[in-house]
Amino acid sequence: MSTTEGPTLIPDDAAAQAMADREAKGKPRKGWFPGLGEKWNALPRQTQWLFLIIVVVIAYLLPILNPPFITTEPGNNWQIALAQMSVYALVAVGLNVVVGYAGLLDLGYVAFFAVGSYTAAMFTSPDSPYLHIPYLWTLPLAMAITMFFGVLLGVPTLRLRGDYLAIVTLGFGEIVRILATIIPAMKGQVGFQNVGHPPGTDAEGQPIFLNSNGTPWYWLTLTIIIVVLLAAGNLERSRVGRAWIAIREDEDAAEIMGVPTFKYKVWAFAIGASVGGLSGALFAGQVGFVNNQKFDIATSILFLAAVVMGGTGNKVGAVLGGSLVAYIPLRFTAIAEFKYLIFGAALVLIMIFRPGGILPARQSLLAYGRTAYNKLREATGKKPAPGQLAPNTGKGAGDE
Amino acid sequence: MTLLELKNVSVHYGRIRAIHDMSFKVEEGEIVSLIGANGAGKTTTMKTVSGLLNASSGTITFAGEDITKMRAHIRVVQGISQAPEGRGIFPGMTVLENLDMGSYGRKDRSGVTKDLDRVFDLFPRLKERTKQFGGTMSGGEQQMLAIGRALMSNPKLLLLDEPSMGLAPQFIRQIFKIITEINNQGTTVLLVEQNANQALARAHRGFVLETGSITHSGTGKELLANPAIKEAYLGVG
Repeated sequence: MSTTEGPTLIPDDAAAQAMADREAKGKPRKGWFPGLGEKWNALPRQTQWLFLIIVVVIAYLLPILNPPFITTEPGNNWQIALAQMSVYALVAVGLNVVVGYAGLLDLGYVAFFAVGSYTAAMFTSPDSPYLHIPYLWTLPLAMAITMFFGVLLGVPTLRLRGDYLAIVTLGFGEIVRILATIIPAMKGQVGFQNVGHPPGTDAEGQPIFLNSNGTPWYWLTLTIIIVVLLAAGNLERSRVGRAWIAIREDEDAAEIMGVPTFKYKVWAFAIGASVGGLSGALFAGQVGFVNNQKFDIATSILFLAAVVMGGTGNKVGAVLGGSLVAYIPLRFTAIAEFKYLIFGAALVLIMIFRPGGILPARQSLLAYGRTAYNKLREATGKKPAPGQLAPNTGKGAGDE
Repeated sequence: MTLLELKNVSVHYGRIRAIHDMSFKVEEGEIVSLIGANGAGKTTTMKTVSGLLNASSGTITFAGEDITKMRAHIRVVQGISQAPEGRGIFPGMTVLENLDMGSYGRKDRSGVTKDLDRVFDLFPRLKERTKQFGGTMSGGEQQMLAIGRALMSNPKLLLLDEPSMGLAPQFIRQIFKIITEINNQGTTVLLVEQNANQALARAHRGFVLETGSITHSGTGKELLANPAIKEAYLGVG
């Protein structure tokens, strides 16, 4: 097969190749259900949409269905649990942009969550002496403010790499928490009561969005998650997404491919931060109370654990990971005390047996190449698709 | 016509000087080899030309334009493309995705398809393995991929940093044959090598680098015949 005038493999190389091939085949990349991803991609578009719609409908029905066994009751209110899970899922989706796509280890993500929460609180709570605006306005405002903070943090620090970046972001997370403690206007531990909520009253004149009723908050957050997921999917497939993956894989190589790495790293930070801020504002609204106690390093690590468990770089995995991290302590109240111990152990186990997370990432990164690839497939006609590790390739090379 | 010119370029890592007052030219259509031992500054020179490192003094001119302060990703669009040392391929991307990344800075879709054909002509092996992950390929294939990917930006100047590193002797000959072929197709090549024999035999001109400065220069044949170089780099005395 490789007896053209082009380079051929010498036996040593061929042996190494055969080994690499075997390894590549022996390790299914697609998770517990090998080939599921390919099967999914092979389905017609309509079938995919149908399936997704069913999943989404079930997700919306969860608070009403209150499925036995899965439910967190009687220990915790199921609807409020769902609302909290959805906020964590949204956080994980945002952090996944930074850590998963661009490969920037951010240990201070809780800072953006905090900035979002405080934005919602300070502009809506009656405890705040400042300008008051309707709650829903604080959502875009929180995104804009956290995006600004993302750029502010990113521009000086994104010239650092790996461990150094992680340490600086860790510091940023602490700075925001400590500022919330020492700046009088942010009210430290006293915090802000009665954070606003979206408008609307039911038939009896009661507000729809109550702190004691998780269902509307869950629906609102779920809707936002779907919108954010669609946006993230588009980003993933765009030039920006390809640039992020390249930066994650090898930053210097990305730069000499013509990727403006610094610019796209700042973008990843800004976009990730804005989603973090959005989820913070939703959290503040749902809980109705914000003080400096919820934004510690441990929460940051918990967010990161959600992304890593779900599958770094996979947005659906992030939703799953975020939900799980919130769900497990609520469902199993007996072990809630030990949640960090359990998540720590779970992370270690996942890293050993499933380094890609529950749903490992695998994006298709082709833009121009896709047309080229199709052309290639047409050209080769009946032969197996090029590159599909044809079994006779190794043998042909060995015959040299 | 001079394609690339370095004039009195010095490069520092912090306070440590890696390259001192280096000047050389690469003419259009040439293969130029830089040879030298470990730590002589070969890779530093390459990174300075591609823009991954900044020169602390001196000027770099490319196609008549001063690029000393230009960022690396813009130099790619201008026509400088590098196959980095240790190959630097994206391990989690397939062969085709790696090649696709090589054309990241380009807007001309038809040109990209044409260059993809060119790369597949030069390296039929890559065509057989478009869907294989870069990280699972053998060393020789990764080198082909790195060179192929660098060609995808349709460069005027191709920078090759130790293309023979870690490869079997037979494979090294093939890689060098292909480098000559790429040059015949009209791409200027600047090559950095420890394998002085092959690198000088294939080159129009060569430079010998020692502790950050150029100590010898001449045509490939002249340098191959130079007794001092023979002794130091070619393993014959």
